Amino acid sequence: MKDWFADIAAQFKLNFIDGNRWQWLVEGFKTTLIIAFFATILGILIGVLIATIRSTYDKTGESLKKRGGIGIKIFGFIDRICKLYLTVIRGTPMVVQLLIMYFIIFKSSTKGTLVAVLSFGINTGAYVAEIFRGGIMSVDNGQFEAGRSLGFNYIQTMIYIVIPQMFKIVLPTLCNEFIVLLKETSVAGYVGIRDLTKAGDLIRGRTFSAFMPLIAVALIYLTVVIILTKLVGILERRLRRSDH
Amino acid sequence: MTTEKKALIKVDGLYKYFGDNHVLKGISAEIDAGEVVVVIGPSGSGKSTFLRCLNLLEEPTYGEVWLEDKLVTPVDPYLHPDIIELSKTYQSLFAAEKAKNSGRSDEEIKAELIAKIKSEDLLNEKHEGKAYKSLMKKIYNENYINVNLARQKIGMVFQQFNLFANLSIIDNITLAPMKLLKLSKTEAEERAKALLDRIGLADKAQAYPSQLSGGQKQRIAIVRALAMNPDVMLFDEPTSALDPEMVGEVLEVMKELAKEGMTMVVVTHEMGFAREVGTRVIFIDEGVIQEENTPDAFFSNPESPRLRDFLSKVL
Repeated sequence: MKDWFADIAAQFKLNFIDGNRWQWLVEGFKTTLIIAFFATILGILIGVLIATIRSTYDKTGESLKKRGGIGIKIFGFIDRICKLYLTVIRGTPMVVQLLIMYFIIFKSSTKGTLVAVLSFGINTGAYVAEIFRGGIMSVDNGQFEAGRSLGFNYIQTMIYIVIPQMFKIVLPTLCNEFIVLLKETSVAGYVGIRDLTKAGDLIRGRTFSAFMPLIAVALIYLTVVIILTKLVGILERRLRRSDH
Repeated sequence: MTTEKKALIKVDGLYKYFGDNHVLKGISAEIDAGEVVVVIGPSGSGKSTFLRCLNLLEEPTYGEVWLEDKLVTPVDPYLHPDIIELSKTYQSLFAAEKAKNSGRSDEEIKAELIAKIKSEDLLNEKHEGKAYKSLMKKIYNENYINVNLARQKIGMVFQQFNLFANLSIIDNITLAPMKLLKLSKTEAEERAKALLDRIGLADKAQAYPSQLSGGQKQRIAIVRALAMNPDVMLFDEPTSALDPEMVGEVLEVMKELAKEGMTMVVVTHEMGFAREVGTRVIFIDEGVIQEENTPDAFFSNPESPRLRDFLSKVL
């Protein structure tokens, strides 16, 4: 038993203390958080934009088409571009998108983290857009009509009435999406970014002991996910106040 | 143009098609300030669609809606003979008719052609030429009112209440006055509280819609529309989704409103309300106005057989 403890302690020292290797994990964790955070923001921006375009087109496209004109043609074109984006992004693996971004589109860039933020943001945006669109469509149309009947224009009605209700509907799904994103950033190592996973892997390569660094990495991910899930629960309860 | 006093709402030649389903087939009506117009009719008759066309929640296929002297809908060329006359379609038909040399006067030909163009829907926006388009534009620009502005003056109450589910009662009432009329928060809240007092729901200010009964929700919905100080209120079957014991409280609020002189257009199945409060009753069936009259004459002396049939079923 004593030997076992001594062995664990030695392993711990080898993997984390020697050469200040624990700092690698800290640095990696920072990079992971930076990528996940900014990709989330980018994803939400892209998602709101595309969901608004798509659901506006679905709702009003028919009546606009009847009236004709150049406006509806441009609008239809934008809608088709959005659909193409959704198809391509959701139809190819994340790692492939990342590799294409890093080695083809931003070939000359040295800012790996920035490229990763863009890749993950663009990827998440596609999923978030569909979540938001479902949410917007599931807000009762009567809410929308009531807003318009008071004199709000389309955008005001969306901002004051539809989107707040949409957020409440999609919140659990949305947070799931971001938890998935946080874990998905672990593939950033493919293009040489030192994120949390890559840091653990580097330690393993240096010390030739896999157990400690990999379990540590797993625990860090798990802790963050548990904390996020808790926060979401609190937020959800607060939002639910309005429908006792 | 006549100089007589304009009606508050004027509806001219209103048609509404949903694909092949022709819901409204030519409705014209005028609603003066202070009137309480009750619209009745069997379900599917188009009465709700008519009401929803008044504030453009439904866009009419043809026809115009005027709010006082302002045009809410686009210009309908078929309602303006002078626009039709400028169209290439009319001019080529006219030339062809003249060439026949039938000896008829220009006036006769003109009347016939305008009737023909109207009934056969011959105008084609794209090919009618510059003069036609610029006259359309001129009439529109001179009379146009932004639809959102028009809606601020037209309050609406829905069958399903449609209170904003994400907002408390007080926020439901103050949202539009604050954002659209630019009232300060205190002003808007004072106004809202006064209105809530009137309907006896001041204690519900902080509640959310889901905590209220149907009757309470509908009374709040009325008050929410009133907070914008509208010129006219539209009611789309306001009591149809309520439990019977709650119908009374909502009708009471509407009666009071009518007594204060609010102009109202009410689509309803409450014949008692129509008889007691209405100043005019309109019967719509199969997309046209079959009959309209004062409540007394309407209920005691129905003229059209359709109305007699309908009344015998509902009374």
